Amino acid sequence: MKFFPFVFKNLFRKKTRSLLTIASILLPLLVICIMGTLLRTLESDPTGGKGMFRLIVRHKVSLTNWVLESYMPKVRQLPGVTDVVRMNWFGGAYLDQKPENMFARFSTSDAQRFLEVFDEASIVQGSAPDWISDRSGVLAGELLMKKYGWKLGQKITLKGDIYPVNLELTIRATFKGPDETAVYFHHQYIEEALPRVKGYVGWFWIKADSLAAVQRLPKEIDAMFDNSSVPTRTETEKEMQNGFVSMLGNIKLLVTSIGTVIVLVILLIAANTMAMTARERVTEIAVLRTLGYPKGTILGMMLGESVLLALVGGTLGALLFVGLFPGFRQGVLYSPMGGFAAGMRLFPEVVALAFGVSVLVGILAGIVPAVRSAQRSITDGLRQVG
Amino acid sequence: MSSVASGTTGTSGTTLIRIESLVKQYTRDTQVLTVLDNLSLTVDEGDFVALMGPSGSGKTTLLNLIAGIDRPTSGTILVGDRQVSSMSEAALAKWRSANVGFIFQLYNLVPVLTAFENVELPLLLTNLNRARRRKQAELALSVVGLTDRMDHYPRQLSGGQEQRVAIARAIATDPKLLVADEPTGDLDSKNGEEILVLMERLNSEFKKTIVMVTHDPKAASRAHRLVHLDKGVLKEDVHAERGKAVGIAAAISASSS
Repeated sequence: MKFFPFVFKNLFRKKTRSLLTIASILLPLLVICIMGTLLRTLESDPTGGKGMFRLIVRHKVSLTNWVLESYMPKVRQLPGVTDVVRMNWFGGAYLDQKPENMFARFSTSDAQRFLEVFDEASIVQGSAPDWISDRSGVLAGELLMKKYGWKLGQKITLKGDIYPVNLELTIRATFKGPDETAVYFHHQYIEEALPRVKGYVGWFWIKADSLAAVQRLPKEIDAMFDNSSVPTRTETEKEMQNGFVSMLGNIKLLVTSIGTVIVLVILLIAANTMAMTARERVTEIAVLRTLGYPKGTILGMMLGESVLLALVGGTLGALLFVGLFPGFRQGVLYSPMGGFAAGMRLFPEVVALAFGVSVLVGILAGIVPAVRSAQRSITDGLRQVG
Repeated sequence: MSSVASGTTGTSGTTLIRIESLVKQYTRDTQVLTVLDNLSLTVDEGDFVALMGPSGSGKTTLLNLIAGIDRPTSGTILVGDRQVSSMSEAALAKWRSANVGFIFQLYNLVPVLTAFENVELPLLLTNLNRARRRKQAELALSVVGLTDRMDHYPRQLSGGQEQRVAIARAIATDPKLLVADEPTGDLDSKNGEEILVLMERLNSEFKKTIVMVTHDPKAASRAHRLVHLDKGVLKEDVHAERGKAVGIAAAISASSS
């Protein structure tokens, strides 16, 4: 510890170079924090554990194929099933087809059941009865309310594409919950306009009474409809989310690859700085050794300097990320990817990862120059000028 | 710091450095270069020895070997009761920190540290607490007359002052032996003179044994023993009364050039 002031003063011996190196560590670590948060968000459970009890039953082929509404009462009778609610993806457009105006639009048949199955959602403005009693009522996420400046009672129009019908909806209630970038309205409203879609369901959600039921039900349900013309695939909410994420490609591999390249780049920059530092101090290190500084102490001081340099960059990067996070989160949630980012929060493990990367970069960048400095013969060092 | 003596000069008669049959060779590719060839020498405690000789005569190599920063090819070097020629590197480092003070031609102060911090550097290796280290460093700076400059950085000091800080650093741990490699080589005559006076004082007052490499006959004349090396061999070893060695030093210097 008594060598720390010496190490610290050495760190800023060449202020411009040190500051540039710190900046070159800070910015990539900020990017690592952002990418790590995005990745962690995709893997996270925004429902706070409540999603563990939910299963989704959909067509075996894909979500774009419908299943039959008549399956629902059969499924509801199975032991372990607490509730079942249907859902359809309406799609369509709000205002225009621009990506920034894309958000999730679902229709559901039984609004009361919907609130029971998704009981982590809470009504903020208006009330559940207001929404349930109005055939054209819509339940809107709070984030969307803020994004579009919607007010309770306001009418919004969704232009249909999958369903060739335009829906005039009235905002009757708003909710806070894991994903506040969606709207939910009554399927009955679509069926009245398009009677031919009656009897078909996009998918239905099941709420199970136990984790054991969650494990047992998928096989049981899929077996029930295996030989029908509309076979099903039942999976947990987490499996469905992972399926969506995998549709985006191998995000984890992509993010990890980019992260690795970034780490390598900052490693090279920091290593270059440390190599220059060591080269400039050959004589000085030889002098320290004449004073009796053992090799281990020289090694520790050089390595300490390298780690300190990287840690300063890492800490500033992490602090910058923490400072920018609220704006970053809002930006992502308001984007077309908002639905995937419902679970986004400041993950301590991501910040810890940034610190870990800093320390690793510091050690790897400093180890070679430090060992070489410590190993160089004193007389060779003293012979060097400068 | 050693106790202040009466100011008289001379050695105690006890041998501090004993060098026997010292050989130092360097190998460059396939060529073997003998820098020191079967050299034997003793230096008494309290002695002030000037090592003279032409470039390449082995002066600095001998100094480095005595100080334990280089290893002989063969032969023995005994400093006090320790055979430095056979000590491990770690043991040598520890021994140097307690027993040898270095003074370099180019001062070699750490530019990012103040005068005080530079002097404190060797003390960081001791078990002294912060307060004791401070006291010791201040004492060393007071010996070289730079107490008022302790918070200055090397760039804020003159060459002479820098060398005095370097001397304070060399004596901070109160070593018995000071080795100096051309300590006035980078200074003008006035500052060089001040440094030599200071070194004389360290020898006479503080009983430091000094081994100094120099080309300068004026500097060498401050010593009371002149050792003349040539091609790695001891050519002359002259004991002279302090201040009266200038003629001998000049003669050695002339023969070296």
